Amino acid sequence: MVERTPLLVMKGVTKRFPGVLALNSVDFDVRPGEIHALVGGNGAGKSTLMSVASGALVPDSGSIQIDGQKITEVSPVAARELGLSIAFQHPALLPDLTVTENLMLSVPTRKRPPFSKATEWARKRLEPMGMPIRPEARVETLTLAEKQAVEICGALACDPQVVIFDEPTEPFMAAETEQLFTQIRRLAATGVGIVYISHRLPDVLALADRITVLRDGQIRGTYNAAEVTEQEIITRVAGREVDAMFPDRAQALGEPVLHVRGLRAPGLKGVDVDVRRNEILGLAGVEGNGQREFIRALGGAIAGSGHVQVDGKPADLRTPRAARASGIVLMPQERHVEGLAPIHSVGENLSIAATAQSANKGVIRLSQEHELVRRTIAEMGIKTPSADTAVKTLSGGNQQKVVLGRALLSEPTVLLCDEPTQGIDVGVRSDIYHRLRGHANAGVPVVVLSSDNVELAGLCDRVLVFSRGTVVAELVGDEVTDHAITAASLTEAGSNRDASAPRSDKRRVGRLTRLLTSEQGPSAFLLLAIAALTLVGIGQSDRFLSSFNISSMLGLIAPLIFLAAGQLFVMLTGGIDLSVGPLCGALVVVASFYLRDGVGLTWWLIGIALMVALALAVGLLNGALVRFAAVTPVVATLVTYTGLQGLSLLMRDTPGGTIAAPIMSFLTAKIGPVPWVILAGVAMLLLLERASRRTLAGLRLRGTGSDHEAAHRRGVPVGAVYLSAYIASALCTLLGAFLLMAQIGVGDPTAGTSYTLASITAIVLGGASVFGGRGSFFGALLGVVLLQVTQTTAVFAELSQAWQYWLPGLMALAATGVFAQAQRRAASKAVVSNPE
Amino acid sequence: MTIDVQQPDRTGKLSSRRPMLRPNPFTTVWIMAAALFVISPLLAPGSLSGSALASMLPFAAILMIAALGQSLVIAHGGIDLSVPGAVALAAVFVTKVPEMLGVSLPVAALLGLLVGAGAGVLIGFVVVHVRIAAFVATLAMNSILIGVVFAVSKGFPGSANPDFSSFSVGSVLGIPNLLLVALALTLLVQWMRRRTVVGRRFMAVGASVDAARLVGIRTRLYQVGAYAAAGVLYSLAGMLLAGYLRTPDILLGNSYQLSSIAAVVLGGSLLAGGISNALATAVAALFLTQLNQVVLAAGAPTSMQLLVQAVVLALAVSLHRIPVTALLGLRKRPHRR
Repeated sequence: MVERTPLLVMKGVTKRFPGVLALNSVDFDVRPGEIHALVGGNGAGKSTLMSVASGALVPDSGSIQIDGQKITEVSPVAARELGLSIAFQHPALLPDLTVTENLMLSVPTRKRPPFSKATEWARKRLEPMGMPIRPEARVETLTLAEKQAVEICGALACDPQVVIFDEPTEPFMAAETEQLFTQIRRLAATGVGIVYISHRLPDVLALADRITVLRDGQIRGTYNAAEVTEQEIITRVAGREVDAMFPDRAQALGEPVLHVRGLRAPGLKGVDVDVRRNEILGLAGVEGNGQREFIRALGGAIAGSGHVQVDGKPADLRTPRAARASGIVLMPQERHVEGLAPIHSVGENLSIAATAQSANKGVIRLSQEHELVRRTIAEMGIKTPSADTAVKTLSGGNQQKVVLGRALLSEPTVLLCDEPTQGIDVGVRSDIYHRLRGHANAGVPVVVLSSDNVELAGLCDRVLVFSRGTVVAELVGDEVTDHAITAASLTEAGSNRDASAPRSDKRRVGRLTRLLTSEQGPSAFLLLAIAALTLVGIGQSDRFLSSFNISSMLGLIAPLIFLAAGQLFVMLTGGIDLSVGPLCGALVVVASFYLRDGVGLTWWLIGIALMVALALAVGLLNGALVRFAAVTPVVATLVTYTGLQGLSLLMRDTPGGTIAAPIMSFLTAKIGPVPWVILAGVAMLLLLERASRRTLAGLRLRGTGSDHEAAHRRGVPVGAVYLSAYIASALCTLLGAFLLMAQIGVGDPTAGTSYTLASITAIVLGGASVFGGRGSFFGALLGVVLLQVTQTTAVFAELSQAWQYWLPGLMALAATGVFAQAQRRAASKAVVSNPE
Repeated sequence: MTIDVQQPDRTGKLSSRRPMLRPNPFTTVWIMAAALFVISPLLAPGSLSGSALASMLPFAAILMIAALGQSLVIAHGGIDLSVPGAVALAAVFVTKVPEMLGVSLPVAALLGLLVGAGAGVLIGFVVVHVRIAAFVATLAMNSILIGVVFAVSKGFPGSANPDFSSFSVGSVLGIPNLLLVALALTLLVQWMRRRTVVGRRFMAVGASVDAARLVGIRTRLYQVGAYAAAGVLYSLAGMLLAGYLRTPDILLGNSYQLSSIAAVVLGGSLLAGGISNALATAVAALFLTQLNQVVLAAGAPTSMQLLVQAVVLALAVSLHRIPVTALLGLRKRPHRR
């Protein structure tokens, strides 16, 4: 290879996380046209190094140069502008957007094609991946492999100088992997520098020009691929000293305590094992090969099937509660999520597991509880100012001791530890090892899952190595070494890729679910429902389709069209605007003072200006409360909802103030049989529908609601999007207020309030998700129509006043319920296929 | 639903600077309430007189009970917008139902509590099992409950049972009966949270559903239970309010939609759940009611109450970003999201 100026140069990069030195003065470079592989075990620092390179993480020290330019601004967008792209291991895609839309957001502005050519452009970009991915498909409906392919395409679409592939082939089948390799080689041939991160040594040896080994955040050597063997690499990847921090192994094992036969779970294909008294059993493997599913199914944390006995008695593993009743206690991996309640105190976190010992007939004896907590804190050596200190303020190691103490207070028969030492420093680690060994010696067998092979080698009497959902190697006694575990994990992972890969990710979602969760699917249902209800109405009275009834219905829906549009802006970002109804009413009340007969035009203009000012102020206030004060949208807009009701009543405690006749006749003017404002509203919604899919602003709006973190990584200004959504909502409400004015003709302080629920119901009927990211302005329009047709049908059926309240309520519940279930069903398939 | 504007560095700094004591979020409201009572006579003369207190305390008691219910839902990170409907429906059980069904008052009242619980269970089921966002489910349920009120009452308010009314307006040793009921309930809930296994588990679910599940708690049971218990409390509040007002307006519960939430937030509870205090919530209810009283006594119209409540809630949820109390030399409020 010709020596040329490297495209990416990293010098002396150091990054420290709490308790861990993730990168220790790392030098790394990539030359033009070379494929430089980066290998290392779990947690060696590979992904951290590349996050630093791509601007996602700020290093503590060290410098990064891309294409000769030193990085000054650390942001994903800045690195992208300089010509570096990264395909993440876990794709940072926006699930509710289409493949094309995701690719459009992946590339810098100057590389982005016009929207009219976007689909064609996306198709061309997808072609080299050799997978049948439709550019129009929503990303959420793709398989894991397809998502990975889109992620890679997004990185390549920037026409980068340097590309980083982080474990790109994990979800791929053999043929797809070959296709990718061909593409990578072709890319390198054009002079692009490639960083290829992988656990899979056979792949690395086949593809790379140079190989750099990283271990414990330090470079352990860089080799020319042609001059090195797989064995040599394994030695470098492993090779850490098993030092004195570990306790002695078990002297003699007792009788089997835990008896597992054919344990299965999604991603786990049947495991048999016996764990004996005094034993510590280790679970190893490259991440995502079934070991986590094994330990979690055993602890009852995920659904599994199989035959499990504890001390000869069958164990029920349907829930953690049942598993605990059988004597199995799981110490989960993510202590902030599952291990602890971080906002609660050390004492509360410990005592919740000890109520069996501290309570008498459901009433806690405080002295006993204090004693238990005090003893556990002392025994575990938890360093905390007091038992009342919130757990989240402790260091990681002390938090982990609380998790362990909590597990031990439950008096387990078998203890399961998922990553017991993740992210904690060396001293505490050794302490935890000795405690685990102490409990094993005391007769409680321990199962330990760890991504640190040295830890397993030092601690365990026996280690099971997982690959592709099964146990591929069992190492006992002196066989349990770092090298042996590493070799078994790496080579097994590479060798049996082909046929039997656990491809549970092919989506088998029912057709109804698919239609309901598709973007315009709900609209089809709405049209059917509208038609059916209209038939019912006609059956009740032939006046249903009379021009009088139709125009009165149109008059009633007019304000709601605009309010629904406003509500949808906010809901697309994942928020809610409760204030639309009262704002609409308050604006009409304001109008009733100024837009009167017998006053001059100036007076009218002042009134309109005040209405605009009020709407803007409310929009800004909502947005600012959500964006800057971090108030949840429900509460923020409930504040304005109530405040505006008060304001309206303050201005007028009873309806009054007739709107000027010329204004009324202007607003109620018709084009043919239809009021022109309705036509304008429909046109606006259709335009918004198009804009939400065909403009950058639309993509940003929907992207923010779909996944605000991924959107941020794609360079979407998330905060500005939130703020503008609330302002847009208030402005739409302003337009709606004019139509409400036309409908009621006077200032009524309570007229608007009921529109809030109606606006939410209408857009949810139209397929909007209250969790954001999804919704259609066209659907919202149909939702509005359906609501009104329903109400009118109820009137024709002479249903009582109560139905005015029941119908919106029931329809809101039904619509959200049906979509929540459909989306959950669709989403649960994706979860199954995603390894952790 | 919540928008995560995380500020890890800020919380990190906060925790490393002051690792010694968990600042108590529940004391601020006591100081605020005390200050309000001290300055009340200055703002509106007579607002602290015996008659003013006697007319304020029963309303404070009603809000305490409603806010206690709301606090149970918020302790789990939920939110309940169905308070107006639940309160209005409960009122029907002491005004119309005894006559309509020909049952005695206690039976009707018991039925009212059961219906409140039933509505709560329904909301809980829909939120926890069907996974509809809490605010949609409760907003829809509110509409449905009000529909039931109209269906039963035909839109005309009725008069409360006279015996019940005389209890509601009565007092013992000058302390309004309603306040006694509210205090008893507040202390009961406070005791349960502190001293019973059920209460501890309830709060553990609120602090982290996932962690509670792994520690072996039946999380869904507690989550549905929160809405059910809240429903019972709203019903009680509604009946007592109807009894006190004698001829209650048909939509008597409307003002409680926001004020119940405001009381909980002002009391120092976390909207995200897990941290809450019944006594502080009750004090916040007292504070809000007295504030209304002062505003009214100062000559403002009734509608001003809504504005005042909105402003107070807005300040309560946003001022934690600014260390106002620290600037005033008072205790620092904890960082809240």
